[in-house]
Amino acid sequence: MVMNSVKSIILTHDTLEALGLRCLLSNVFGMDAHIGDNVAAQVEPDIYFIDQATLVEQLGFFLPRKAKTIVLTHGDVDVDDMKSLNVAVGESDIINSLNAMLETHQQEEHNSTALSAREVEVLRLIASGRINKEIAQELSISINTVLTHRKNITTKLGIKSVSGLTFYAMMNGIV
Amino acid sequence: MALINSDSKLSEIILHDASTITVLDRFGIALGVGDATVADACRTHGIDIKFFTTILNTYINENYFPQEALEQFSVAEIVDYLSKTNDYYVQNVLPNIERHFSFLISRAPSHNNNLVLMRQFFDEMKSELMQRINSDREQWFPQVCNSENEARCNVARAASGDDVPADVIEDKIDDLINILIVHLKGDYDHNLGYAVVVAVLSLKKDIRQNNRIRNRILRPISQALSNGDE
Repeated sequence: MVMNSVKSIILTHDTLEALGLRCLLSNVFGMDAHIGDNVAAQVEPDIYFIDQATLVEQLGFFLPRKAKTIVLTHGDVDVDDMKSLNVAVGESDIINSLNAMLETHQQEEHNSTALSAREVEVLRLIASGRINKEIAQELSISINTVLTHRKNITTKLGIKSVSGLTFYAMMNGIV
Repeated sequence: MALINSDSKLSEIILHDASTITVLDRFGIALGVGDATVADACRTHGIDIKFFTTILNTYINENYFPQEALEQFSVAEIVDYLSKTNDYYVQNVLPNIERHFSFLISRAPSHNNNLVLMRQFFDEMKSELMQRINSDREQWFPQVCNSENEARCNVARAASGDDVPADVIEDKIDDLINILIVHLKGDYDHNLGYAVVVAVLSLKKDIRQNNRIRNRILRPISQALSNGDE
């Protein structure tokens, strides 16, 4: 499974554990994995890998991000209702568990790649050359909401430039 | 791959990453490299070994960017390399992609409007790239080279790679690749579609690597030199 569009951050107190996991994630799963030192300085990734101590220290940060957090454990420990990965087992067991978890993650992501009706509307206006302010006026929404829609459209389609979005819209009969 | 040094064999470098052929070509080295090492080739072609290995290592390893070493090279050397890179795009890469696109469109089993739109998107990106290349050739490169003759300034003063604006050309190439790979519909010759994607991907890699040299090395030098003029 190649997941090079998936970004992950590893936050653990054990440097060797972090280095080993990064090596697995990038070599076996082709993932863009970084070792972080604190959550605040990082760009929000798709998945956090953290140890139990980090979870305890920054519970307030990780609870709302439960869906994208995987807690590393040593032994079969149940970490409330968070996803956990036992790292005190053999390499192939770790890879198998990771594979299953990442597959679920990808399916969840896949379900959310279709554009909503509102996003199609925003895309149509972008493709017909409107700037954010005009889109906001036309749809009676705030500029911030327009920006959120644009960000979601770019994430879902993987297209950043206005020209790219315009050609996509033309290819799909949106304009 | 481990970092390239003066004892590395050219054949092994190419076997490890065939896209280095195009970089070697910019230094006048063609295929049929025999068992020549980097040092041998540099001697034969009158190339500065340090500059050559730094450029190759930067090209091969995404994470390798020896800012300090690159700042030590003369502006003329960097400009010469970037000019050759631009020539390579104009003479080889862009015509190659165009050729593949023409085949892809003309040999589609039925008219596929998606392919025509993708070609238009490519043409738009190409015209921006050509504008940049022309302005490099006519304004930026001569300007930087001239000011270097007048005064060699402290480059570090202006060196700040962080304020480089997002590159529009890189974004458009990314989008083109993404649309081709993720969103392409309709009938087309799969083999020719693959050829277009590979050709655009190789342009993407080259532009990204060279933008690092443009934006993080030549631009700060150019800024330092123009500040020195004031």
